[in-house]
Amino acid sequence: MQPRLAPLRRVPLAAFALFYTIVSGGPFLWVAVMSLRTTAEIFKNPYGPPSPAHWEKFTDAWDKSNYHTYFWNSVVVVTIAVVLVTVIGAMAAHCLARYRFRGSRLVRFLILSGLVLPPQLLILALFQILLDIHLYNTLTGLIVVYVATHIAMTVYILEGFFAQIPQDLFDAAKMDGYSDLEIFWRITMPVGAPAIFTTVTLNFIILWNEFLFAVVLLTDDDKRTLPLGIMHFMGSHQLDVGMVATGLMIAIVPVLLIYGFFSETMIKGMTAGAVR
Amino acid sequence: MLRGISLPLCAAALGLAVVAAPLGGRAQADDVTLEVWSHEADQPAKVAFRELAARNVEKAHPGVKVKITWYEKNPMLAALKSALPAGKGPDAFYLEPGFVEYITAGYVIPLDDLIDWNNIEPWARKVWIHGGKTYGVPQEAYTNEIYYDKDALKKLGIELPASGQFTQAQFLDVVKKTKAAGMTPIAQGVGDRPFPGAYVVGEALLRKLGPDDYLRLFTGKLSFADPRVAEVLKWTKEVVDAGAYPKNFMTLKLGESHYYFYLKPGALMLPMGSWYTGRAFVPEDKGGQPANFPLGVMQFPAMDGGACNECKTSAVGASFVINAATKHKDLAAAFLNAMSTPEMGKMWIETIYLQTGIKADVKNFSGPHAAYFTELMERQKGAKYFIGAPQDLTTGECKDAFAQVLNSGFPGGLLSVDQAVQMMNKSCYKG
Amino acid sequence: MSGLSRRLRGILGNAAATDARAASLGLLLMFLAPALLFYAGFAVYPVLRTFYNSFHAIRPQGVVEFVGIGNFRSILFADPTFWKAVGNTALFTVIATLVDVFGGLLLALCLFARAPSAGLLRVIWFTPVLMSYVVVGVIWVWIYDYDWGLANAILHWIGLGAYEQSWLGHPSTALWSVMGAHIWKWLGFNMIVFLAALYALPGEVLGAAELDNCGWVAKLFYIIIPMLRATIVNLLVLSFIGKMMVFDLVWIMTGGGPLWSTETVSTYVYKRAFDWNTFDLGYPSAIAVLWFVIILAFIAIMTRLLRQRDRLEF
Repeated sequence: MQPRLAPLRRVPLAAFALFYTIVSGGPFLWVAVMSLRTTAEIFKNPYGPPSPAHWEKFTDAWDKSNYHTYFWNSVVVVTIAVVLVTVIGAMAAHCLARYRFRGSRLVRFLILSGLVLPPQLLILALFQILLDIHLYNTLTGLIVVYVATHIAMTVYILEGFFAQIPQDLFDAAKMDGYSDLEIFWRITMPVGAPAIFTTVTLNFIILWNEFLFAVVLLTDDDKRTLPLGIMHFMGSHQLDVGMVATGLMIAIVPVLLIYGFFSETMIKGMTAGAVR
Repeated sequence: MLRGISLPLCAAALGLAVVAAPLGGRAQADDVTLEVWSHEADQPAKVAFRELAARNVEKAHPGVKVKITWYEKNPMLAALKSALPAGKGPDAFYLEPGFVEYITAGYVIPLDDLIDWNNIEPWARKVWIHGGKTYGVPQEAYTNEIYYDKDALKKLGIELPASGQFTQAQFLDVVKKTKAAGMTPIAQGVGDRPFPGAYVVGEALLRKLGPDDYLRLFTGKLSFADPRVAEVLKWTKEVVDAGAYPKNFMTLKLGESHYYFYLKPGALMLPMGSWYTGRAFVPEDKGGQPANFPLGVMQFPAMDGGACNECKTSAVGASFVINAATKHKDLAAAFLNAMSTPEMGKMWIETIYLQTGIKADVKNFSGPHAAYFTELMERQKGAKYFIGAPQDLTTGECKDAFAQVLNSGFPGGLLSVDQAVQMMNKSCYKG
Repeated sequence: MSGLSRRLRGILGNAAATDARAASLGLLLMFLAPALLFYAGFAVYPVLRTFYNSFHAIRPQGVVEFVGIGNFRSILFADPTFWKAVGNTALFTVIATLVDVFGGLLLALCLFARAPSAGLLRVIWFTPVLMSYVVVGVIWVWIYDYDWGLANAILHWIGLGAYEQSWLGHPSTALWSVMGAHIWKWLGFNMIVFLAALYALPGEVLGAAELDNCGWVAKLFYIIIPMLRATIVNLLVLSFIGKMMVFDLVWIMTGGGPLWSTETVSTYVYKRAFDWNTFDLGYPSAIAVLWFVIILAFIAIMTRLLRQRDRLEF
């Protein structure tokens, strides 16, 4: 059941919606337009239309600048890392939220503290660890680091939400003969869907754009991920704005499509009462 | 069924590392691969230069592969700073003389017995000598110049003296006239660099103080309250207040300042290291200067009562060093030598239009930018070089203050002379 | 309101008997082990390493020297740049966190109240979140540019030309400008989290409110916000941490300048670690540790204050 507004109230609402759409979408549109223009054209007139539209820039980036490699590396690394971090994180969060046990405070504190140290300093020690276990300069190593560094936030978000799920649900499930694992899988996960949706989205976006770990932990060009690819065009020498925009669009559009589709389904599912 | 889901997942998570390790490990053949990391991935001429040297090494040493990984500077430094303390990293890598911490930490080795120093200019080698040992092979060298638009200067009715050098009063006058004509006098920006904003004041200090006191100033042995320094700052302040710099000085990036200078909106001058050519001499659609641009080179202005008005800054940029942890020391040296032959030196000048620390005899210079290079050489006649730029001479807190005060706050018009003196002294002057 | 809260209680259920929350060690391990293993292997060691470093100084040739609390003493009593960075970070954190969270709530409510074409807006309003910091930085530096930037162009266009300025170029506006860009990037994220939480609210509650003939504003303050309390607390804490450690955008847009006016604790740590011609991680580690303790203390206070009330109510 959604709130309804009197028609009169809808005018300021629509005006605000329009305003914020321009503010948030404008820069994106600007980048989209720039992705079809050359850097020289952009410097001449930053806000000009894309005429002629240089669609060939996309194929250039994809083929000549090795973007296809970077793209698939990113897909592999980020997908695996997000799946792992979500499942592992949800299990831990479920455990912390559901069960009372000695030391739970300590575990919670430990995990939370992982959120609070600058990655710029942690990376030196991480590097040493990856060397020791022979995962330096491998995609696996990057996945492991991504999972490790994002578990804290995932557990934190999920735990806060899981703790709000009414105990009645669990008691009922228990009476129906569900095992603890089944309770996790059939109750916590579906009921916690909004929170899981949140962490998946957040982790995906952060990791998809992650730069520091990727640049330090991978050295081979054919293992690099998308953000490093975009960096190719952001040379200290020449800022090839046009190609940066093209690279960005290649990186963003798939995510945008997935998000558009996923958020629609999610919200439909939730309003349809599938949650309860 | 549900029980069957979670446990394998956990197991998979844990096992992933073990299973995937062999896949990721580097293939170990009998052949040797020499790993090199280099900055300047976005400069095709330099990429071609270093890749050619790599191929030459491969030809001379069958079974050897030289693999250059191309980076941008900051990512490369981040990678180096984590790899070297762990005893890892490439066999040889790009470095600049300012990064002395690699030497003091013992991460790079002395090259005195490994390199054919007959091929290297002694003044360039000197930059890399610490405690009597040489740690780097200088490749790129540059001088600080003021690039200017010849037509624009003519239009203002101003003539450059034959020496190529204005006096400080004339220079101030040029700035004022340019501004009055509605043009930006100096297209400089500090959006992404800790030094361009200090070109004018730095070169003025060098000429006023002479090389010895200039060095003392930036190594904490001379106070910024010295009357000569104050005079220079006062003059610089006048230049700044006359509107010398663009309004977007603080955020204008290095690449953009080039564009600002020769294309849009256009400016009279651009003080820059002579590596200016790396950005300017590329095709126009890549952001290079227009083919018919009337590029001129002038000296930084002479200071009244200057101790050394024929002085100019020369510095070594791109250089290569060898990792102390390398297993292929001789091979790495072979690569460094391969980049430093007289033939390669000639190629450097002819394709990159830039000075070099490699001895190269280029008398009959030709190519599309021959006139420019001749003029650049003209500006070197009779010059007395001071080797080293302030951003290389300073470290730590003083380097930070240089970047924030002399490079940005002061030329940006945010600080008075007294404030600048006080802030610089606080961070730099060791009494 | 009492009738309402009774109904709420019925829907959400009371805290159940405690024994349902007991668990065997094996069960706990099964759930926790994967996370703890990853965590212990890859996060705890680096953290401990940072603590260790903070009590040491690393001299040339990699000689490690124990300096006790020397680093901390220098930071607290002899480092004006650090305090400047603390001030900037605190201002940034307080303002940006509040705007981010409550702005996000406002946006979510707009969509929830069926703004026209909400489905499309939900995607458009989210686009800033998708962009990497590098790109957000480049775009906003351009927007703030004095000569061709959009900000000045708009001011000029609406007749406020007198306010045109170099937004990132002056100490009095630089921090606020960076903050604006940061908020712009993250508002959309808070929005979708709230939106998800709003849609997950039991419809009966809102329906009940409608039966009680609540006004829109009353409904917002008496029902929606209290019911979203957990989400709000979560987002406040997350946002707080993110802002206390703000680095990338500042680094890209201003590098801490002009004149340290946008220096944050994280940019200062980074500078000390990587830009000061040193491999000495002692001092920057000490700053990080100090900051770590401060952030954790604040989080403990925040969660205690905000969560406690939550418990009392139900």
